[in-house]
Amino acid sequence: MNYERELLKGSTDSLLLCLINHQPMYGYQIIKELEKRSNGYFQFKEGTLYPALHRLEKAGVIQGKWQKLPGGQERRYYYITPKGEKALAERLAAWQDFSTAVALIMQPATG
Amino acid sequence: MPAKLNYTDNLKYYLRIDPTTESDVVRELDAHIEDKSHELVESGLPEEEAEAKATQLLGSPRLVAQQMYEVYSQGSWRQAIFAALPHFLVAALFALRCWQNTIWLLGILGAVICFAIYGWCHGKPAWLFPWLGYCLLPVIAVGILLIYLPGGWAWFAAAAYIPLALLVIFSVTKQTIRRDWLFASLMLLPIPIVLGWILALGVGSKFLWLEQLYEVAPLISLSFAVLAITAAIFIRIRQRWAKVGVLFVIEILILVIVALGDRNTIGFGGWLLLALLASFLLLVPALLDRKIRQAGEKSVKLSHKSPL
Repeated sequence: MNYERELLKGSTDSLLLCLINHQPMYGYQIIKELEKRSNGYFQFKEGTLYPALHRLEKAGVIQGKWQKLPGGQERRYYYITPKGEKALAERLAAWQDFSTAVALIMQPATG
Repeated sequence: MPAKLNYTDNLKYYLRIDPTTESDVVRELDAHIEDKSHELVESGLPEEEAEAKATQLLGSPRLVAQQMYEVYSQGSWRQAIFAALPHFLVAALFALRCWQNTIWLLGILGAVICFAIYGWCHGKPAWLFPWLGYCLLPVIAVGILLIYLPGGWAWFAAAAYIPLALLVIFSVTKQTIRRDWLFASLMLLPIPIVLGWILALGVGSKFLWLEQLYEVAPLISLSFAVLAITAAIFIRIRQRWAKVGVLFVIEILILVIVALGDRNTIGFGGWLLLALLASFLLLVPALLDRKIRQAGEKSVKLSHKSPL
């Protein structure tokens, strides 16, 4: 398995929580938003997104609700729960510490 | 058959989760295919081709179903305790040697019937099936008791009762297989063990039989306690292959416990038959599931082909 895929695998839950925290979304919308916001870097394998969403829902960090679109079709929107907000805050703090530490080592020293 | 329909049919075939969640998952993926097809049509693809491409991009329905199964297959600790409870009650019955205590027996019988009916009417959750297994045991026990009827009556009653009992067992098993064949294996798990203990104790005078029962009661209790732990582990494990493995390995282990209590009444042939019966009851639901699904697929194909 390649390195980038491993990195994405480890960050999937955080990315999904972050997007859903910003705005409740449904599966297809999440894929599009991830692609758009990352300038095409994150291209989710579409079938694997839904098990990830259901895993998060079962863990109680998001909640799915069927809602009607203006066109009349129904889509399952995912909302972040208070437990999810807390988990996301923890993940963001951990990510910040991690990326700062990685940057300190990986980036060439300046000055 | 349209690509979307084919995809959702395949997805349903492999999903094996509770019906409410299944319909949610299928509906959600259906909606995704719809959105993706729409996007592809807008980019210039013909409608049929767009739908085929959209389903292809979702990936293998088997893989998606497997990942979904792993999300929902793990029951909570509460469900695990509920699934283990009937076996623990039976284990306690023998550990405390109160199999002649009417209150105990009626209590267990009442609990088995209540939990089985409640679970059956409330979406057949995973914890239901060990309780359901105990509902089938009286059907088998009555069949065994027919042996004690005088003379020709035994044959007459057996001829009338056995087909009826088989019909009940088959019908409940079939309904369970529709939910998931692994639950049918879990449900039928105590049958070879109960049969093993009946054979191990042998048929003798009532006094001798009770004396032997007192002697082996700790082992009987142990076998049902192991069965309880098996049911709990089964509920907590995510992967299907691990669930099958646990059922198979622990069933053999319990038969070894039964062998420790055997007073040389079963013999090599009997043990061989018990081991075969255990394997048969474990695996036959899988074969029946295949048959039922193949029959279902055929009827779906026919209904798609038949003109309106």
